[in-house]
Amino acid sequence: MTSPGLFPLDVALRGIRERFADAVIDSDRTSLRERTVVVPATRLAEVAQAVAQEWSGTFVTLFGLDECAEHGRYRVHVSFSMAPEDAVLTLIAAVPADAPRYPAVSARLPAAAWCERELHDMLGVTAEGHPDPRPLVAHDGWPAGTHPLRKSFRASEPWDWSPRFRSPRVEGEGVFEIPVGPIHAGIIEPGHFRFSSVGESVLQLDVKLGWTWRGLEKLAEGQSIQRGTELAERICGSCAFAHALAWSKAVEELAGIPVPPRGRAVRTVAAELERIANHLSDLAGIANDVAYVVGGAEFMRWKEVVHQLADALFGHRWLRGVCVPGGVRVDLDDTQQQWLRSVLSEVRTGVGLTSRAVLANEAVLDRLTNTGVLPLQVVRDLGATGAAARASGLDFDVRRDHPYAFYKELDFQVVRRTAGDVKARFELKTDEIFESMNLIDQLVNRMPGGPLAQHLGAMPGDRWGFAMVESARGLLSHWLRLGPDGLIADWRVRSGSHALWPALAQSVPGNIVPDFPLINKSFNLCYACCDK
Amino acid sequence: MFEILRHPLRAGSLAGHTALGVPVALPAPLRERAGDIEVLGHALREEVRRLFAGSMKLRHLDLGSCNGCEGELNALLNPFYDVQRFGIDLVASPRHADGLLVTGPVSRHLEEALRLTEQATPRPRLLIAVGDCACDGGFCAGSFAVAGGLAAIMPVDVRIPGCPPHPVAIVEALLAALGQAHVRAMLKG
Repeated sequence: MTSPGLFPLDVALRGIRERFADAVIDSDRTSLRERTVVVPATRLAEVAQAVAQEWSGTFVTLFGLDECAEHGRYRVHVSFSMAPEDAVLTLIAAVPADAPRYPAVSARLPAAAWCERELHDMLGVTAEGHPDPRPLVAHDGWPAGTHPLRKSFRASEPWDWSPRFRSPRVEGEGVFEIPVGPIHAGIIEPGHFRFSSVGESVLQLDVKLGWTWRGLEKLAEGQSIQRGTELAERICGSCAFAHALAWSKAVEELAGIPVPPRGRAVRTVAAELERIANHLSDLAGIANDVAYVVGGAEFMRWKEVVHQLADALFGHRWLRGVCVPGGVRVDLDDTQQQWLRSVLSEVRTGVGLTSRAVLANEAVLDRLTNTGVLPLQVVRDLGATGAAARASGLDFDVRRDHPYAFYKELDFQVVRRTAGDVKARFELKTDEIFESMNLIDQLVNRMPGGPLAQHLGAMPGDRWGFAMVESARGLLSHWLRLGPDGLIADWRVRSGSHALWPALAQSVPGNIVPDFPLINKSFNLCYACCDK
Repeated sequence: MFEILRHPLRAGSLAGHTALGVPVALPAPLRERAGDIEVLGHALREEVRRLFAGSMKLRHLDLGSCNGCEGELNALLNPFYDVQRFGIDLVASPRHADGLLVTGPVSRHLEEALRLTEQATPRPRLLIAVGDCACDGGFCAGSFAVAGGLAAIMPVDVRIPGCPPHPVAIVEALLAALGQAHVRAMLKG
């Protein structure tokens, strides 16, 4: 079959060759799944737009690297998933160190907006013509010219940290502003939300994150792979396993290490357990926010059961220390597998019962239906992925489109809804919990034998690896480059939440202020995943 | 809803069953110690009765946590641990709080929020560092973007290490802290 529709990567490469004569298609990169194209920085935005809008690329990430000392330039990477083909297309542009600016990709591709804001904060590379050039991570109080991911940045220099809350004002008759956060009323992460509203209706929502920013990408520089694994799973508590998995895959790709089948199978079990726990927490949040406390307590109870399962089987309630580059550290024997399956079948009954009861309640449905609608077009424009995007109709799941671990050998459905409201997200997450249990069931039936992990051996220097996984929130990517000494030189992470926060902000206007917590819970995005 | 309520009536309620029953055939070190929360919790309730007239209200403050410690603090309120029955609750405002539960390595961006929240908490108040990050910076120690633990900013009354600490460990540490002389003196003073 040579139908162009089946091989989007070839179509895109042919298109680039024909239309952009000055682009250089790199044949050196040996990875089967990733092709790189070097384009002039001045034309990066045009090429990116064509890849996304004409050649069906799904925006994955955009980030920058400091190569000033070696080559007198910054390097900007823009990656696209070429699903349904299991391929990644990466555009690379060089930006001169003495004039660090280029025409903004976001001006043509809104999905890159937050990435380019972060690029400016971190490296001082300016995307000219950016529709919203405000800082993303850098809060007020950062001295001018401070760009932490520059290699010349010295963390030890005294720095006047004096953040002050400041947001743009919306004025007009009857318009008032409601500032919320960064410290919220519950046990939640810090973020600042500013609602401009008339009466009870929200006109605009501005989300300001970066509060929990810990500079982990910088901290990892010069560290070992082992330390990197520990840092990766501490980016986010709720997505700890997904981060460890994406990190490990990046290391494995870089070093060309195959993971033994049993290691891949155990990884899949743990990844799905994490998804179940996260989705249960979202369902509990939705039920609690509509004051359906019985449902909330039930979902929290089942979530606790999943954490205790994780603790008993893997030795950690949040699945840390399980996944390492090369495989996993913990095995599941036959008794454990059978027990896992029998407990999950209890969870399945309980969750099914509670979900049905929640959705049979008129008072609940009244709050969930048509609340916080996220249109499919917004999902596409902003490059959103994950459960929330599938609830709006997006047909994309890394597990199916870029299969990793054991997913290729398993039979599962990518669940979708089309309404895009809170109810659709509730139903979709319920269904995904059942799909995850179905996956674990299949694995218990056919757990392969053999070793759990492959030894890493000597790490090749000066190489990079790129990996994507489907976390509970969506597409999570880790990009890693090792220096000649085999230590971490550069590390860039983009989580599903990073793409979904701007989408969330689009789903709130037109709703009433009291529905915001409900809409927020139905997405249940990570703050720490974004702030790193 | 009645279906949900009927289910525990048939299958038994959770009260007194605080941990998942793990089969004996599983390796011993991986098994959870069942029942600890009951013993520790009831002892804690006695202390809370003596020192806080029966109810200790705490305010949570995330200062750069990864959300792992938040997960365990939330778990304290789920039907398994349900610490509200021991007289402990998490409140929405620092003005209603007897103490602050601080998580995270204190990111520079949140230092001001910490000061404002701490000032808004009436005296006497307990300052409790939850998790390795809040205790000494944990895995984030050494990053220029964090202060490296709560103690770098202000004196800490109680430290609860762990990454994240188990819900039972949090209850255990609170109980131990309320028995300490300097904490009792502060609360009475």
